[in-house]
Amino acid sequence: MATLNEKKTCSERMENFRLFVWNPETKLCMGRSLINWVWIILYYLAFYVVMSGLFALCIYTLMTTINPYEPDYQDQLKSPGVTLRPDVYGSRGLQIYYNVSDNRTWEGLVTALHTFLTEYTPAAQHLNINCTNNTYFIQDTFDGPNKTKLSCKFTSDMLQNCSGITDPTFGFPEGKPCFIVKMNRIVKFFPGNGTAPRVNCTYVDKESYPLEVDYYPRNGTFNLHYFPYYGKKAQPSYSNPLVAVKFLNITRNVELKIVCRIIGAGITFDNVHDPYEGKVEFKLKIED
Amino acid sequence: KGNKKKKKTEELKKELDLDDHRLSTSELEKKYGTSINKGLSSARAAEILARDGPNSLTPPKATPEIVKFLKQMVGGFSILLWIGAVFSWISFGIQLAQGAESPFDNLYLGVVLALVVILTGIFAYYQEAKSTNIMASFSKMIPQQALVIRDAEKKELPADQLVVGDIVEIKGGDRIPADIRLISAQGCKVDNSSLTGESEPQSRSCDFTHENPLETKNIAFYSTTCVEGTATGIVINTGDRTIIGRIASLASGVGNEKTPIAIEIEHFVYMVAGVAISIGVLFFIISVSMRYKILDSIIFLIGIIVANVPEGLLATVTVSLSLTAKRMAKKNCLVKNLEAVETLGSTSIICSDKTGTLTQNRMTVAHLWFDNQIYSADTSEDQTTQPFDQSSPSWAALSKIVTLCNRAEFRPGQENLPIMKRVVVGDASETALLKFSEVILGDVMNIRAQNKKVAEIPFNSTNKFQLSIHETDDPNDKRFLLVMKGAPERILERCSTIMINGKEEPLDSEKAEAFQTAYMELGGMGERVLGFCHLYLPENEFPDTYQFDTDTMNFPTSNLCFVGLLSMIDPPRSTVPDAVSKCRSAGIKVIMVTGDHPITAKAIAKSVGIISATSETVEDIAKRLNIPVEQVNRREATAAVVNGMELKDMNSEQLDEILCNHSEIVFARTSPQQKLIIVEGCQRQGAVVAVTGDGVNDSPALKKADIGIAMGIAGSDAAKNAADMVLLDDNFASIVTGVEEGRLIFDNLKKTIAYTLTKNIAELCPFLIYIIASIPMPIGTITILFIDLGTDIIPSVALAYEKAESDIMNRRPRNKRRDRLVNHQLAVYSYLQIGIMQSVGAFVTYFTVYAEQGFLPSTLLGVRVNWESNAINDFEDSYGQQWTKYQRTYLQWTGYTAFFVSITIQQVADLIIRKTRRNSIFRQGLFKNKVIWVGIFSQIGIALILTYGLGHVTALNFTPLRFQYWFVAVPFAILIWVYDEFRKLLIRRYPGSWWDKNMYY
Repeated sequence: MATLNEKKTCSERMENFRLFVWNPETKLCMGRSLINWVWIILYYLAFYVVMSGLFALCIYTLMTTINPYEPDYQDQLKSPGVTLRPDVYGSRGLQIYYNVSDNRTWEGLVTALHTFLTEYTPAAQHLNINCTNNTYFIQDTFDGPNKTKLSCKFTSDMLQNCSGITDPTFGFPEGKPCFIVKMNRIVKFFPGNGTAPRVNCTYVDKESYPLEVDYYPRNGTFNLHYFPYYGKKAQPSYSNPLVAVKFLNITRNVELKIVCRIIGAGITFDNVHDPYEGKVEFKLKIED
Repeated sequence: KGNKKKKKTEELKKELDLDDHRLSTSELEKKYGTSINKGLSSARAAEILARDGPNSLTPPKATPEIVKFLKQMVGGFSILLWIGAVFSWISFGIQLAQGAESPFDNLYLGVVLALVVILTGIFAYYQEAKSTNIMASFSKMIPQQALVIRDAEKKELPADQLVVGDIVEIKGGDRIPADIRLISAQGCKVDNSSLTGESEPQSRSCDFTHENPLETKNIAFYSTTCVEGTATGIVINTGDRTIIGRIASLASGVGNEKTPIAIEIEHFVYMVAGVAISIGVLFFIISVSMRYKILDSIIFLIGIIVANVPEGLLATVTVSLSLTAKRMAKKNCLVKNLEAVETLGSTSIICSDKTGTLTQNRMTVAHLWFDNQIYSADTSEDQTTQPFDQSSPSWAALSKIVTLCNRAEFRPGQENLPIMKRVVVGDASETALLKFSEVILGDVMNIRAQNKKVAEIPFNSTNKFQLSIHETDDPNDKRFLLVMKGAPERILERCSTIMINGKEEPLDSEKAEAFQTAYMELGGMGERVLGFCHLYLPENEFPDTYQFDTDTMNFPTSNLCFVGLLSMIDPPRSTVPDAVSKCRSAGIKVIMVTGDHPITAKAIAKSVGIISATSETVEDIAKRLNIPVEQVNRREATAAVVNGMELKDMNSEQLDEILCNHSEIVFARTSPQQKLIIVEGCQRQGAVVAVTGDGVNDSPALKKADIGIAMGIAGSDAAKNAADMVLLDDNFASIVTGVEEGRLIFDNLKKTIAYTLTKNIAELCPFLIYIIASIPMPIGTITILFIDLGTDIIPSVALAYEKAESDIMNRRPRNKRRDRLVNHQLAVYSYLQIGIMQSVGAFVTYFTVYAEQGFLPSTLLGVRVNWESNAINDFEDSYGQQWTKYQRTYLQWTGYTAFFVSITIQQVADLIIRKTRRNSIFRQGLFKNKVIWVGIFSQIGIALILTYGLGHVTALNFTPLRFQYWFVAVPFAILIWVYDEFRKLLIRRYPGSWWDKNMYY
């Protein structure tokens, strides 16, 4: 063993390494002759080409088995998530703080809402049809152009006071801000079991007085004719129905925790792990 | 400092320098200031005790336990994992300071990594702690009490109170309390076996008989045993200055060499660590330059380290080794140092003792000569009859002498034991003769009773014969029978006739010549020869009332009738020749090292095949060609018998030359220290040396050897402690089975490592692709730990049970420089071929799971930042569905689980292909190794428990998985199997080809 444990000096090591990289006597480069290197590289090249081909073949086969209209499974999408606009995330979730008297603090929020609503202008919605039935809009056939299905129109004016049309500042300067609640799309999801699901906003903690909220459209419901969603390929122009909430009695200079739940059969909001399933929680603080 | 230590060792290796044996009693009294009658005074004794210290061996400085423990904590891969753990905590700290939402993941990861290190460290420490301390048995050997004369009084003192100059008395059964110069002795014999390895008790007297203190009769050594008689002596050395003390310090001074397997594992650890660090650093740089945050890059680095390090492997190796150790214990090889299991397999030279290891350690009658003819006797261990021709009346006469002229007796109460196993009271050759006649004639004690003994002269060294006079068992024959045995030449001197075919014929010069030839021939075989003669005393001169007087010898002791010769030898064990030839075909050189006479040593070496029938020594050639020894070309001689005296004068170059040039070597008459020199000489040749030994004197050599083998029955405790392995049956053949097991475990460890390394790529690729393609993380760090320390553990141990692929005893011992445990073929094949296949299989599963849940492969590329953002809770998939962060995370965990399951499934295939390296699996047998199946079932069972049983524990990142995803990787598992069969087929078909060189590991 003694021979193996001999301490080599640094220069010896370097010399050994140099000889390993190119040994002029044996004409070995890193322990192989050059022709050997060519062979081994060619082999691995071929091997990896075959493996990539195999991988591509597998993915191709996978794609051919996939239904382009709807996913095979929706294991994680039992209940839709809920999002809020404007959405400003702090380190602990949604935090919307602004100062009434300082318009720089709320202009961003207002712009965010306007940007969000550009998809809901009549021009953006012109491909969609007007729906009046208050029932699920079930389509078993492709009635739209290019083998698509029809989608119902949702325009921002349906949000009335919170549409940004009558009040371009969405009530922010008055301290009665508008927020838009959106329910996530899930393919072939029938929310509410026949009754339209509605948004209900409350304080998280018991406050001395109840939260006064105006809901737009009326009652804060998502009309059933927007459901079910048939997927991006079938309904390329589909846009989520929205509910706007306007808080009327927000105490100034206090951080308030508000939760907006969607009430309806099939929508759960008690998943301890997921704070955005069936509900959206946020902190609101209006200063003056 | 190192030089000083070396010098000290050199000094110790020199023969002992002592002159007390030459001094006369009065000189001794003067030298030690003592008196033979009165002893030392208590005051003087106390003074000397204060000067010299107690008469006990100082234990060596042991490494503190805590240091040993900490060494385990930072050795091997531990340091890498510690780095990972520290990085985890650092990033936890940073995230906590930044107020991020879930910083605790990193804290847990760090804790888990630390736990892994600590647990494997404790495991390794526990294994090491099992190895016992060599000095323990030395201290056990210290005699408790000694009878000392002090202040003119006899006193019982604890032996460690003895000082130089004390007068001690010893009697049979005592252990010698210190090195003693005897001043008076009555029939004293000591057993020096613990010191010199010679088992025969040696007589001790107060005469100065030899220059060498080790050989002279008037010195008795510390820790040896007084067998019989009594003696008085002056203490000349105490404690560490005694011979045994020097040897003990020599044994602890000789460094324990690293075992070959330890070196291999170190090499492997360096390799894997090198890969881990270089890939880690490379991707750290890549991720930083791809504008990932430093913190993220650190987390990637941790992942890469964890994926690269086979956390469970070192524990697996330990378990595999201990399983083999258990298996070897069943075959009578008890392994003390686990790593020695493999060392035995790579052994290229075995230095074996003769007595007890190669031989049966008992004298047995080997040849007879009567009627001018040599007969061979059966010398096997379990003889029940003797096959030679017993019809001659000469044999009847000879057998009578053998039976009657013998003082040895069986201990009573052993009638049911086989004759060879019975305990006999008497010396070695008488025992041999007694057993021999018991085997042939039956009840010897009865024969002796019928031939009543009337007079006897026991053997003594001056007349060199033994004589007894008996009545005969023939009631009509009133003559007395005088029987005599002894040194053949002395016996012949007393004879005038010789018995041929039952008839007495005059002993003429021709017959005397025949006797000489036979005597020389038997002696030349290294056998101890005894001559036998008898005489029927004439009835008229010696009536039955005659009073025989052994002092005046009033009976004839010459003109006797010579009957025959018997020669005895300690015969080789019957399994040894076969074992030696096995060693030979396995490329292992067997060297005999013995304290015995060269002729005997050579004879035994020839009979067991250590010196093969056709090879000659220099002396043989000289004899054959009739030329002086000096003129013989030394290269021509394949065999060599080297005398200890010659060895003493040799320098290391000369020894090297002998070891190089001769393939068959016997060292005879070697002294204790020379064994160490021989071992070092062999090691200079680059050999892995196994040494057998039993005495205390062997312990330095046992320590120095790559693997020391102590004898379980004959071995002293010190030898057993110094050794790495104990042969429970003292049988050389057991070493060979050990070698076989050692070679097998080396092959099987290769398989285990190949199996374990393969999936590292499947664990590593996800990180690399995650960093480069920004897809959602395919597998989590915790999940990787569950593979490394969960599903993969039992299968990798199961490979240790794999049977050998071919006759592993027909190839040369592995070259410890070239034949690495982990060679580049193994690494490259595992990493770049099978590992890549596994990764592809696992990625297919991953993409399938995501696609079927809504994320087609094309949408996954480049989504990492949004995917992991807590601020996006309406993340759109390929179908326009929107996902919250938690829903995505849960899907990601499902992805982890799917990836995990795919790796597990493909590891089953990997396990099956690793059963063989060359042969087809179908030739090896798919079901022969049941443990492999236990491994496969455990693997799948653990995976099932993790996914379905613990799938709801969020911290573990497992989720229940749809059943069909278990089968996505199955085609790839089959592909791995088919590809490997193809590889093996080409290797077998085209040995030595490019393919063989690059694909065989």
